[in-house]
Amino acid sequence: MMPALSSTMTEGKISQWLINVGDKVNIGDMVLVVESDKADMDVESYEEGYLAKILVPEGSSAAVGAPVALIAKTKDEIAKVAAAGVGGGSAPAMAAAPAAAAPSTSAPVAMASAAAPTTGRVVASPFAKKLAEEKGIDLTRVTGTGPEGRISAEDVEAAVKNGGASAPAAAFVSKLLMATPAAKKLAKSKNIDLATVKGTGNFGRIMPDDVLLAAGEQPVPKKVPGMAVAAAPAAAAAAPAKAAPAGDKKADKAPAAAPVGTVAMNGMQKAVVKNMAWANDVPTYQVSRQIATDELDKLYGMVKAKGVTMSALLAKACAMALAKHPIMNAGYVPDGIKYNANINVAMAVAMPDGGLITPVLQKADQTDLATLSKQWKDLVPRALEGKLKPDEYSTGTFTISNLGMFGVSSFVSILPPGQGAILAVAASTPTAVLDKDGKMGMKKMMTVTLTCDHRHIYGADAAKFLVDLAAIIETDSMSLLF
Amino acid sequence: MLLLLGALQTSAWLVGGMAPVPATRGMTRSSSSLRMAVEAEYDLVIVGCGVGGHGAALHAVSKGLKVAVVAGGDVGGTCVNRGCVPSKALLAASGRVREIGDEKHLADMGITTGGVSYDRAKVAAHANNLASKVAKNLGGSLTALGIKTYMEKGELVGPTEVKLVGTSNTIKAKSVILATGSVPFVPPGVVQDGKTVFTSDEALKLEWVPDYLAIVGSGYIGLEFSDVYTALGSEVTFVEALPRIMAGFDKQIAQLAERILIKPRNIDYRTNVFASKVTPGIPGVKPVTIEMIDATTKEHVETLEVDACMICTGRAPYSEGLGLAAANVQVKRGFVQVNEKMQALDVNGAVIPGLYAIGDLNGKMMLAHAASAQGISAVENICGHEHILNHDAIPAACFTHPEIAMVGPTEEQARERAKAEGYEVGVSQGNFKANSKALAEGESEGIAKVIFRKDTYEVLGVHIVGLHAADLIQECSNAINAGSTLEDLAMMVHTHPTLCEVLDEAFKAGLGRAAH
Repeated sequence: MMPALSSTMTEGKISQWLINVGDKVNIGDMVLVVESDKADMDVESYEEGYLAKILVPEGSSAAVGAPVALIAKTKDEIAKVAAAGVGGGSAPAMAAAPAAAAPSTSAPVAMASAAAPTTGRVVASPFAKKLAEEKGIDLTRVTGTGPEGRISAEDVEAAVKNGGASAPAAAFVSKLLMATPAAKKLAKSKNIDLATVKGTGNFGRIMPDDVLLAAGEQPVPKKVPGMAVAAAPAAAAAAPAKAAPAGDKKADKAPAAAPVGTVAMNGMQKAVVKNMAWANDVPTYQVSRQIATDELDKLYGMVKAKGVTMSALLAKACAMALAKHPIMNAGYVPDGIKYNANINVAMAVAMPDGGLITPVLQKADQTDLATLSKQWKDLVPRALEGKLKPDEYSTGTFTISNLGMFGVSSFVSILPPGQGAILAVAASTPTAVLDKDGKMGMKKMMTVTLTCDHRHIYGADAAKFLVDLAAIIETDSMSLLF
Repeated sequence: MLLLLGALQTSAWLVGGMAPVPATRGMTRSSSSLRMAVEAEYDLVIVGCGVGGHGAALHAVSKGLKVAVVAGGDVGGTCVNRGCVPSKALLAASGRVREIGDEKHLADMGITTGGVSYDRAKVAAHANNLASKVAKNLGGSLTALGIKTYMEKGELVGPTEVKLVGTSNTIKAKSVILATGSVPFVPPGVVQDGKTVFTSDEALKLEWVPDYLAIVGSGYIGLEFSDVYTALGSEVTFVEALPRIMAGFDKQIAQLAERILIKPRNIDYRTNVFASKVTPGIPGVKPVTIEMIDATTKEHVETLEVDACMICTGRAPYSEGLGLAAANVQVKRGFVQVNEKMQALDVNGAVIPGLYAIGDLNGKMMLAHAASAQGISAVENICGHEHILNHDAIPAACFTHPEIAMVGPTEEQARERAKAEGYEVGVSQGNFKANSKALAEGESEGIAKVIFRKDTYEVLGVHIVGLHAADLIQECSNAINAGSTLEDLAMMVHTHPTLCEVLDEAFKAGLGRAAH
């Protein structure tokens, strides 16, 4: 089965088969290399047996979930399985999975073709390479049509025309104008000529949403009952090609121009609405303070090369200050204060298609800076792809929202459900300051604003927390390293 | 032989003075008295263990006959395993999905929900488990009554001799009832893969819910599945060979059914076309292609690309390997020809003594309850009580939401018959919109149409589309069976407030009277 190597992958091109018909396949053996929309991936086998038949040859593509080969349990059954084909029920289609999450750095053992760079096996003519560089084309996204997948200049040109990557090969192209019954009814009622509508349904057919878009209206959230499990009748359960949840699909198909009219919210956005509403009934107040970041910036300069990020530094600073002020890490419960055992610092990250998510750095006060940075680097990309597990985004006890990168001078955040405080971090800007002696100096000042739940956190609590936070950042930044 | 007669006597006593033990013509005196038990004589051997065979078996036992059933490995037959039973389970689940998802309908009653979702595997399991359960109960009921069930297939080696296929054993009986049923008919040009191109046999397993499927044939099976699939989120295109969809239904009812069951749903159709070539697809890779030709000119009209294609073009009698030739049975398009007493006819049209055929195999009325009624009728005839089944009084139902049900001829057929026989036909109607219960349920779409003789007010036929039509039709079937007139029926008290009052309205209207 063609594996999904990323959440956006709908089909993959087989760059190379690493085994031949008749070869013994063990579980874990690398059996093929798949070119996805991101990189080449080695794919291993989950089944043991003998390769009976290759259904999708090198250079051809298959949709995610489609069988790519047939494995027979024993050597004797090879002919039978090969003859039975995909429809023959008993032969298990090869179920394969990507070898590693990172792009392939392990060169497959059987690979005999020309030497290739470590990430992705790009084989291209010198001219093609030059052209790609000139045009800013990523060669890993170009399909080579030359011998052994060699990329030619023509292939690069084709990729340029196609928007930076080669068009997927061998996908089914319909010669008909197919539209579903609902799409047809809609087109008729809105006087839309189906020939002018771009179809985004299976095999390119026109769906009702496509007609709505063509009519200048926004797609309505599907009224059709959601299926808890969607499976096509392949030998093993596999998701059909358009397996993406409704939210993602709508985002992909939204018009590139400014949205017109009312746009339906996706699931993430709706979650934000719900979360924001919680604070409506909470008596909150804000306390601001300016913090000089010169020391912090110096420290950052020293540790940047080691992969430490500013976010991690701020999270660690807050965590250490929170350790001294447990009330700030607590939440209000009716007639009580819920103190949290751990200091889990969440930081707000905006989703590309709308919505907000707050990946959490667990036990931030007890974790060293290097580890926090590593964790953050792992969490953010996954957060952007919507692939975080609930305990990775819902266990925060204190939240930081940082708009400093946009030059914001100050702002106020809304309290997330269940927490006592949230810190809004603005930009750090060079500011003229007067010191105790009246002498003018220049310092980089950053305004931070705390929003707190006054049911359990009083003004003095908040102010005292900020005193310690400022102290850590301004005078004790080295302590962040531990 | 002595032992056998003794057994027969005993069973007659047990039944306590009911009909005497049968003695059909041609009681063969076999030399098998010294052979082993498997070849002992039976009064009746039934080939086939579906609804028809089972019904016949139960009735035969109640008449004191010694019965054996040759099940062919299919206890329960189509109805239980691949038809009525699992389809009703699917319709029940999908019907609820449709109902709970009908926001407007619920909002009208002040109800809001958080939406509805379903687990396809569990819905399928509901149907499969039910089928297994009912099949088990059916098998159990045979054993409990002392009916010997042979699991092999049966093959006629003579009019009343059945060979157990795969063994060297033959059973002889005084009478044999053939009840092997039918299988889905698949037109030439259709290539099935059981996954993207399939019949009801596979559809009932609900292995997947295609986004967009074509259903070839718009009879009750196609209609029921269009209801299931669209409730679960699919879109459907009917491919119909005849000039109108639901051609077998009363025209007015079909038009109303279209308005209720087709138009508001994501369903459209093509009529007057044959699916001349259907090629399977691969989900996510390539679509199923359906080439359609004009039914008259045979020219290519349109090609469809869909995710799946379900073939609902009727059912063909299952007589493969039945050995009909050995008994010289007359067969037309695969159907065994029988007379009105279910007796099988030979190629010259003469009755074959001791041989009967019931159910889908004879094609007279391909419905489960018709099969079992025919089975009972055949047994009556075997016992010497002449019995002729009135097929006009046998109701039929289509379990869509809302249901469609009918008994007797359509209005068109009734008018034709009336013309031929020289009387006039009257038609009266009851409306669900005027019915308090239907209105309370918010399901007030539908009518009940009563067709009667103008001179005698005898009820000839009734057609209903609306909530619970399948249950409402029973009153009408009983009425036709009893030869009731509108006057009789209008004086029957119908419970208030129930949907039955729709019929009351129709009966009274036929007499020119107004109802509540």
